[in-house]
Amino acid sequence: MTVRPDNRLLDAPLAPVVCGRCRAVVEVRKSSWAQTSVQWNAEAMAACAQRRQAMDLVDHGRGLFLSCSELRDSIDDAVRRGKVVIVDERDVQDHCG
Amino acid sequence: MAAISDSGVRQIEAGATPTRFARGWHCLGLTRDLGDGKPHTINAFGMRLVVFRSGDGKLNVLDGYCRHLGGDLSQGQVKGNEIACPFHDWRWGGDGKCKSIPYSRRVPKLARTKAWPTLEQDGMLFVWNDPEGNPPPESVTIPRIEGATSDGWTDWHWYTTVVHTNCREIIDNVVDMAHFFYIHGSMPTYFKNIFEGHVATQYMTSGSRADLPVPEGAPKLLGTTSDASYWGPSFMIDDLVYHYEHEDQQTILLNCHYPIDANSFVLQYGIIVKKSENLPEDLAMQTAIALGDFVKLGFEQDVTIWKNKTRIDNPLLCEEDGPVYQLRRWYEQFYVDVADVTPEMVDRFEFEIDVTRPREAWQQQVEENIARRAAGTGTPG
Repeated sequence: MTVRPDNRLLDAPLAPVVCGRCRAVVEVRKSSWAQTSVQWNAEAMAACAQRRQAMDLVDHGRGLFLSCSELRDSIDDAVRRGKVVIVDERDVQDHCG
Repeated sequence: MAAISDSGVRQIEAGATPTRFARGWHCLGLTRDLGDGKPHTINAFGMRLVVFRSGDGKLNVLDGYCRHLGGDLSQGQVKGNEIACPFHDWRWGGDGKCKSIPYSRRVPKLARTKAWPTLEQDGMLFVWNDPEGNPPPESVTIPRIEGATSDGWTDWHWYTTVVHTNCREIIDNVVDMAHFFYIHGSMPTYFKNIFEGHVATQYMTSGSRADLPVPEGAPKLLGTTSDASYWGPSFMIDDLVYHYEHEDQQTILLNCHYPIDANSFVLQYGIIVKKSENLPEDLAMQTAIALGDFVKLGFEQDVTIWKNKTRIDNPLLCEEDGPVYQLRRWYEQFYVDVADVTPEMVDRFEFEIDVTRPREAWQQQVEENIARRAAGTGTPG
């Protein structure tokens, strides 16, 4: 049972983003301002201070680490700087151009 | 493997259902039912199991068929610390060893059957399934549910049913925001998935559906907050809060299953409700039962879809769908040997849906349904 690639990634793949706080490198895709996919790896998971703090707090219990606010800021910044292209906006440009 | 044919038609592709069963803890049911001192038959993992509480108080799970001449141990009797086969009275201990054969001077060598690692916790019995035969690692244990053993909460309201499809269908629900509107009458307002290690989480908030009938006498529901995680391949704990006009109601909803075979599974859910000043003993239990009826309806709605849908390995997704492929990548870790678990199956992945467009579309749909009902021209769509 091999899992296939997400058809949406064929249109627009993930792009690397460096967190301004801990320098963790994650891969990001945004189809709109409000939609975000974040792919972490082991190195990034170990580097993220907010995640580590959250894990220490829950300690085997149930607890939810929804997101890292500093990483979110870094992603927003990467979008503003054009490092991450929002798929919806790119599509609009394609249609206009 | 091209999903598009020459004519431009997208083809549905689906491989065979997996031939092995997921590695992980599976809840078999409540100890108050399974631990009554009688043997119980459980069909799981393509096998027949016997569950029995032995004289020493321990709940045991063994392969159901006697290694002597194949008698069904679950039709036998508990005698002391052993289960006695109904065919020739061979006695099997919870460790899987044959302890005695009353009509024989000695037990033959290698008289051992499969015994499953068990966990009794929070009123439930779990078994560890591992095709490789390794013991359960501490890091994947089922977390405790505080309310389950507390006087401040009700007892479990439990429900069990058999569903005739492969259990991947129910796993897919973790990422399927839109079906909560179309199938379950919810109004999702926020939706995010997180997969990390052996845990897959769905965080969702919902508003209320003004177009759907409210049960008579029920308080006005403003919405719900749901923080639901699968701990391994089959056991989901949902911290589910109902926001009513006058107060919040804390509940825990379990959604768990175990496979019978590749094409059927036993679906179970359990509900406990936190008691409060407005919701003392009996009223809290009544609430748990009422919520249970509501959840039962929800699962029946799912089952109707599953019965009629086809298995699909290459779903065609729009941007407002959840991460189906990444969820299946996470789920795959339970179907391969531990040595073959790859980083991408367990690395953290987050996916937050943009709910702007769905909310607009669904609000409009709700208004149309209300208008249609007011005009008396048909049933809501």
